[in-house]
Amino acid sequence: MEKNFIIAGFGGQGVLLAGEVLANAFMLAGKHVTWYPSYGAEMRGGTVNCEIVMSDEEVSEVNKSDTDFVIALNQASFDRFLSKIKKGGWMIANSTLAKEIKTRTDINYLFAPITKLAEEVGNIKMANILALGLLAKASRLVSIDTLNQALDTVIPPHRKNLLPLNMKALKIGYEYDLLPV
Amino acid sequence: MSTQCLTNKKVLTKGNYAIAQAAVLAGCQCYFGYPITPQSEIGEFMSGKMQELNRGYVSAESELAAINMVIGAVSTGVKAMTSSSSCAVSLMQEALSYATTDELPVVLVSVMRGGPGLGNIYPSQGDYFQVTKGGGNGDYNLIVLAPSTVQECVDLTYKAFYLAQKYRNPTVLLADGLLGQMMEPVEFYDYPYPEIDTSDWALTGAKGRKSRIIRSYGPLAEDRCVFLEKLFQKYKVIEENEVEWEEINTDDADIVLVSFGSTSRNVKTAMKKLREKGIKAGFFRPITLYPFPNKRLAELSRKTKKFVTVEVNMGQMVNDVKLAVNGNCPVELIHKGVGAPPSADEIVLKIEELL
Repeated sequence: MEKNFIIAGFGGQGVLLAGEVLANAFMLAGKHVTWYPSYGAEMRGGTVNCEIVMSDEEVSEVNKSDTDFVIALNQASFDRFLSKIKKGGWMIANSTLAKEIKTRTDINYLFAPITKLAEEVGNIKMANILALGLLAKASRLVSIDTLNQALDTVIPPHRKNLLPLNMKALKIGYEYDLLPV
Repeated sequence: MSTQCLTNKKVLTKGNYAIAQAAVLAGCQCYFGYPITPQSEIGEFMSGKMQELNRGYVSAESELAAINMVIGAVSTGVKAMTSSSSCAVSLMQEALSYATTDELPVVLVSVMRGGPGLGNIYPSQGDYFQVTKGGGNGDYNLIVLAPSTVQECVDLTYKAFYLAQKYRNPTVLLADGLLGQMMEPVEFYDYPYPEIDTSDWALTGAKGRKSRIIRSYGPLAEDRCVFLEKLFQKYKVIEENEVEWEEINTDDADIVLVSFGSTSRNVKTAMKKLREKGIKAGFFRPITLYPFPNKRLAELSRKTKKFVTVEVNMGQMVNDVKLAVNGNCPVELIHKGVGAPPSADEIVLKIEELL
């Protein structure tokens, strides 16, 4: 089995970090995984994205032509990657910053007010990790325990004070009521 | 001072950091460099780590200075390196030519970006010619290793230091922006090669022995001929002993896809997809770009019907494949000028058009 994920949003929303946490989680679960960023003349406020390919075998490909999952943290990312999702794949979108419009009927949508929920957790910067909670629930490809371990791996020693809040954001994302999808 | 690798655990690591960490573990004593995207993390890592280990780190005033500092350092018998990218590697060509005739184990990591000129920072394979044909003057070869995964960035960095010292010849690790920026689980391990004794040539101070001089100047025509014959005798040994490649499904292949570096990953998958469609495709990946696997390609050219090289440049390695194949069968090119490699599906489509 091989699945790929695109995480996209504004520069500064923690898109690359969320991808790194997810990639670490897959590695910890014993999967093959490749993470790579879009990079170019990016700046804060511009769009940024990364792709993660997870596989039971050697990762077959980079720069794939389509994707199984998209996390879109803003409208521009939603618009840009909607057409790239495979039939039956998932669009997980931040309804605080993207309109709830379902133009495609052959994919699954999960709209959640990710930014708003993160504010309720206590830090708007946790939106990226909260979105991973949603992804874990929707994809059933990674457990919350593994994601927590991955957070612990990625967060450097001098930032460990932020670990509990990140874990809380993950939990809230995971427990967000997916119905009605 | 050596550093031991204390863990065999896999760590999710960015290509650039993997190269830097491997260089440290290989015993690189000095790093000289000037930042340039997409390889800046190498210098960033070294700036902290080398100091911590009490080794040498200099943020040079230019790439020209950096490579000449490496020449100075390796002249004393220690392992040293620089890293750079495309347009800045251009600035190092003179020194690389000097280092081949000085017979110095310079290690250069070249993380390719888009060219020509300043170009852009997207991944590219446009510097195949730059490292295999040389931009410096005179007859010389650089040993060139081309990783395709982050793990290979580690493995081949170790090997680059070893081969450079073993043959006293500048050695290039040729990665690209995609590999440099990509993260994959890697395993670090202790330097797996024997340490090379440099005491019979290195400049270590002439106390108790005759003084030595390392120079590239060869004023007498006859002496120079002798030197060049000797140098190329060495290249012959390298060509006989150090060629490395990967090949899959070539035995019964009607069409062999040839690709190196990060692009080869998608090409391997394209080969599998072609097989699923009943097309007898094989996959061939040169790991050493110099020495190039000429002999093996020539053998295959007597069995297969066609070669197709897939490159992210305007067609460079295709020339070496043509030389190796020497007219035995057609050699075609699928290419993209710059950027991430074409997807496996795109490659399959283009190959079907060629059939």
